[in-house]
Amino acid sequence: MREGRKGALSQTQAALVLLAPFLVTYALFLVYPFFRGVWISLHDWNLLAVAFNPDAKEFIGFRNYERVMWGRNIEWGLFAAPFWQGLGLIGLALSFALPMAGRLRRFNALALGIASLLLVILLGFHPGEEGRWYDRRFWPTVGNTILFVGWTVPGVTISALVLAAAMNRETRTMDVLRTLFFLSQVLSVTVVTLIWQIMFSPRQGLIANITEVFGGTPINWLTDDQFAMAAIVIATIWWSLGIAMILFLAGLQDISKDIYEAAALDNARGAKAFWYVTLPNLKRTITLVVVLQIILHFQVFGQSHLMTQGGPNDTTQAQGGPNDTTQVLVRYIYQTGFRDSELGRASAMAVFLFVIMGTFSVIQFVVGREKT
Amino acid sequence: MNRGYYWLIVGLSIPAFLWLVPTIWMVSLSFQPNEVLARTTSTTAFGLIPLPFTAENYAALFAFGQTPWWFLNSVIVSLGMTLGVLAVSTTAGYALARLEFPFKTAVTIICLIGLMVPEQAVFIPLYTMFADFGWHNSYHALILPRMAVPIGVFLMMQFFRGIPKDIEEAARLDGVGWLRIFWYVMLPLARPAMMTLAILTFLYAWNDYLWPLVSAQQREYFTITLGLASIQSNFAQSEGLGRVMASGVIASLPVVILFLIFQRYVVKAMTVGGSKG
Repeated sequence: MREGRKGALSQTQAALVLLAPFLVTYALFLVYPFFRGVWISLHDWNLLAVAFNPDAKEFIGFRNYERVMWGRNIEWGLFAAPFWQGLGLIGLALSFALPMAGRLRRFNALALGIASLLLVILLGFHPGEEGRWYDRRFWPTVGNTILFVGWTVPGVTISALVLAAAMNRETRTMDVLRTLFFLSQVLSVTVVTLIWQIMFSPRQGLIANITEVFGGTPINWLTDDQFAMAAIVIATIWWSLGIAMILFLAGLQDISKDIYEAAALDNARGAKAFWYVTLPNLKRTITLVVVLQIILHFQVFGQSHLMTQGGPNDTTQAQGGPNDTTQVLVRYIYQTGFRDSELGRASAMAVFLFVIMGTFSVIQFVVGREKT
Repeated sequence: MNRGYYWLIVGLSIPAFLWLVPTIWMVSLSFQPNEVLARTTSTTAFGLIPLPFTAENYAALFAFGQTPWWFLNSVIVSLGMTLGVLAVSTTAGYALARLEFPFKTAVTIICLIGLMVPEQAVFIPLYTMFADFGWHNSYHALILPRMAVPIGVFLMMQFFRGIPKDIEEAARLDGVGWLRIFWYVMLPLARPAMMTLAILTFLYAWNDYLWPLVSAQQREYFTITLGLASIQSNFAQSEGLGRVMASGVIASLPVVILFLIFQRYVVKAMTVGGSKG
């Protein structure tokens, strides 16, 4: 290609000019903070102390990680968490048996195998006699976050899938219905928590008002150990169903009408067609939606922070204990950093969060690239 | 249309209505007098119909309180962030998609690998950085971090890659420089993609909670999302349920209107945003 008119920039120069604004902001506000975060996590770094005196931090290597994730007299045993470890062992066995029987592709078997192995190994760690975790709250918090994801993701996925399959027709009415289901998705987390806080209120809440008419006793959703998690899961499902639904609708558009017609000849209609035609053809979309939601919901913060304050029992000062059923990881990072001023420890947890999110991002990338 | 279709509509209307109930309830409560709400929230049809009716909550909201100010902050921050993201993303996206330069593959990978880093993993170091600069409690502190997120670059790059090469080549043969081609030829073509990115960014900016919570400590710099969080925990004592709900409605109005007008773009934006950022 000929060079442009005299004085015009060469291609490389033009690229540099065009890339510069992004690269500068990117380097300054994402790349540098990321590495700085890792660096902070290697220090004993008190927010207030360092603010007054920049030298008040001390390099302590991986001690923060130890303080957060490890403990005194930690032992490993195969029966620390028999149910989950047993499940892991079964999964491990299946990951060997199924591919041999030709029932599972190698890639999926590998994924199942790794996940099961992690389950067996990680849940085997427990404090031995006289031992304890240095941070008693960290692992329960991770557990709560996983529990939240474990309820929310299937809840959203299943309801979105059913709704999408039902609404997969190009008519005006369906358009309106889709809009109604999607509407809550554009609200901010604080509006969502505002609405649901009042919805769940035992005195003023709509749910309590309705149960009372039917003679039930109102449940104190947000302050009850058993219901607090359910409450934020319900609010989250209500909030975030839309995206999943839209992604499923897009996936459904790609399934050819011919397949359904052929299935109809074999007498597969309605629920049967859904089971034997829609689901198998939607496998990849389902995987993608699930992974995407795991990433999204693992970062939950606002719902827990505003609706239950991590509680029920975490309301005033975080004592930590078995009753913080809705304390989640990002909220714990936020509190450790900005209430307890322990930036070093908070950063170590943030790095932990990044590793988990990064793993799922890679999975998402691989699944997204896969051609089927 | 057959009978099955009508049954389907009826069957779907019930969950659709239930889905709408919480929103209706918020709007309805915002139009009821605080004195009534203090006693009961289910005056008419479980409170879903605003009777007795009053618009006083909205009047009070604009007369005193900081909600209008927070609203204005949100507008400034959201528009600023949208413009900023558009500026850095279209340029970088074009360069990565269409220009040849040394180490292009490496630069592309470096730019996009940032998609893996969630906001939650960098908000602490960002906080200390901005504190060192003395930047907290300002508009640029709320805007800048999002401009570094490569989701927009990714989006624009994908878009520019899809444009046929001959348009550009014709202009090159006429001796037009690269920057001019970008500005006069490519940008006008990119309007739909820019629209999607703009909406994605605006929604994100308007609804973002964690970073403003950390960065804006003075109430004058609260965004409406943050302000709403600050009044919802103690509404009973301070302002009354009706007024808090009115704030919620005001906070949602721009995004809901945006959604209703540009539904197609919003859905697209949120799907891309959800799947990649």
